[in-house]
Amino acid sequence: MSDAQFDAALDLLRRLNPTTLQENLNNLIELQPNLAQDLLSSVDVPLSTQKDSADSNREYLCCDYNRDIDSFRSPWSNTYYPELSPKDLQDSPFPSAPLRKLEILANDSFDVYRDLYYEGGISSVYLWDLNEEDFNGHDFAGVVLFKKNQSDHSNWDSIHVFEVTTSPSSPDSFNYRVTTTIILHLDKTKTDQNSHMMLSGNLTRQTEKDIAIDMSRPLDVIFTSHVANLGSLIEDIESQMRNLLETVYFEKTRDIFHQTKNAAIASSAEEANKDAQAEVIRGLQSL
Amino acid sequence: MSSSKFEEVVNKIISDSPPGELREIYDDLIKITSESSKNTILDAIENYNVQNCIPIDVDGNSIIISKYNKEGSKFFDPVHSVIFSVDHLGHRGLDIEPYEFTHPKLDKEQLKRLHDQLREYLAQNFPGDVSFAVYPVPEEPSKISIIIVSTKYNPNNFWNGHWKSSYIYDLDTKELTGHISTQVHYYEDGDVSFQSGKAIGQNNVVDVVSTIRDVETSFENELDFSFSDLNEKQFKTLRRRLPVTRSKINWGKAIGSYRLGKNAAEGK
Repeated sequence: MSDAQFDAALDLLRRLNPTTLQENLNNLIELQPNLAQDLLSSVDVPLSTQKDSADSNREYLCCDYNRDIDSFRSPWSNTYYPELSPKDLQDSPFPSAPLRKLEILANDSFDVYRDLYYEGGISSVYLWDLNEEDFNGHDFAGVVLFKKNQSDHSNWDSIHVFEVTTSPSSPDSFNYRVTTTIILHLDKTKTDQNSHMMLSGNLTRQTEKDIAIDMSRPLDVIFTSHVANLGSLIEDIESQMRNLLETVYFEKTRDIFHQTKNAAIASSAEEANKDAQAEVIRGLQSL
Repeated sequence: MSSSKFEEVVNKIISDSPPGELREIYDDLIKITSESSKNTILDAIENYNVQNCIPIDVDGNSIIISKYNKEGSKFFDPVHSVIFSVDHLGHRGLDIEPYEFTHPKLDKEQLKRLHDQLREYLAQNFPGDVSFAVYPVPEEPSKISIIIVSTKYNPNNFWNGHWKSSYIYDLDTKELTGHISTQVHYYEDGDVSFQSGKAIGQNNVVDVVSTIRDVETSFENELDFSFSDLNEKQFKTLRRRLPVTRSKINWGKAIGSYRLGKNAAEGK
């Protein structure tokens, strides 16, 4: 695979109908199997769900970041479903023990956030280590996911992939870098009237922020600070993106539609005509 | 991959493409596969252009191609009395030759009147680059096909808009059937698609252009209503602008108190 092929594939996926993104992604991989790994890890598709049988079948979200083979790790019980064989599990990725503690705390906090903003839906947070040595509150990465759907007609997926790294200049300062994609699908099909209308797609934004944490405090206090920093950052990003989605979906596309078809220009043309006639009449009267 | 599977995949990708971006999609597909897939891709684009009634530049005139004016591998234009083949990627007419066509039911005068009415209607309702056609329907002399295409392409600002309405009008039974379809693609830092369509069926149509004007105006008004309705009813209930508390979340150790508060309120 070459970079040119990968860039061409990303450009193509950005142009094709977003409602069939998964199918187009699979087709591109059929055309060029070398692209599979890079495309699967960089293209966000609508999130699927799994049930965690070790936690009263509580649902969790699946993406490439909690996948191993064809199974997905649950943030609730830290188990892969469908269950993996002991042999496969030896190589399966898990966060280190201290990072798993942070993961549990993050899942708990973002679950409260989900309830307050989405009043329903599902959330999941997955973390992974960035260093070989044991996690001590410094560098880590992860993804925060939210999904909410209402019947088949509307679906919202938020995917926040982030990296938290110690700033090279000061060990108490952290750089939080978040790449957010929101996939929003809205469908208004009226079969009885033979009409359909669909607004669908995704928007992506990147944000970063430096925040200091007092690293002399106990680890659990440091963990709480990380989750609070990530939490307010993601809360701000989602609020901004919600406004952006509202503008693009309901104003921008509607304006563009009216640049192809607009009955209002007929009435404004008539107005202009009347004005012109009035001018002529005034001109004649003044003679 | 077998050649039939390859064709199927290429056809699917092309049919999923938004109007106005076929050149870029062609270039991408060549990069992902190779020059040797050129003919398969071009065949798929030809199908796409005919199905979507894409206007072609024929000697400076914008001529819609469709299954109704297809003659073998060429297309004819009854207005300028020419027949031409098409560079489907460049949207240009080639090998333009004279071609005389007379409609079995519509004489030149009637056809001209229909054209004039359509031209007047389009000028007042379609601010985009608009093309129209009145074509015969093969094997069905009592029917004519009326097609309107309006586009506004703005790749510099990452958006393209497309309108197509096509009708079959039966001169004997006075029935008008057809379909309106419209789409917008907005792809700055993302990929957002708006698509809408409606099937049309009207009886006792005497003035065909004024009926088209009525159904298309009401389609446009319904869309305006649907935009607001989707925003109010579906979008707003997916994610709140702020929590019920009307203030941002107080993150940190005390975040669990939201849950305690909720459980208490629900009497748990």
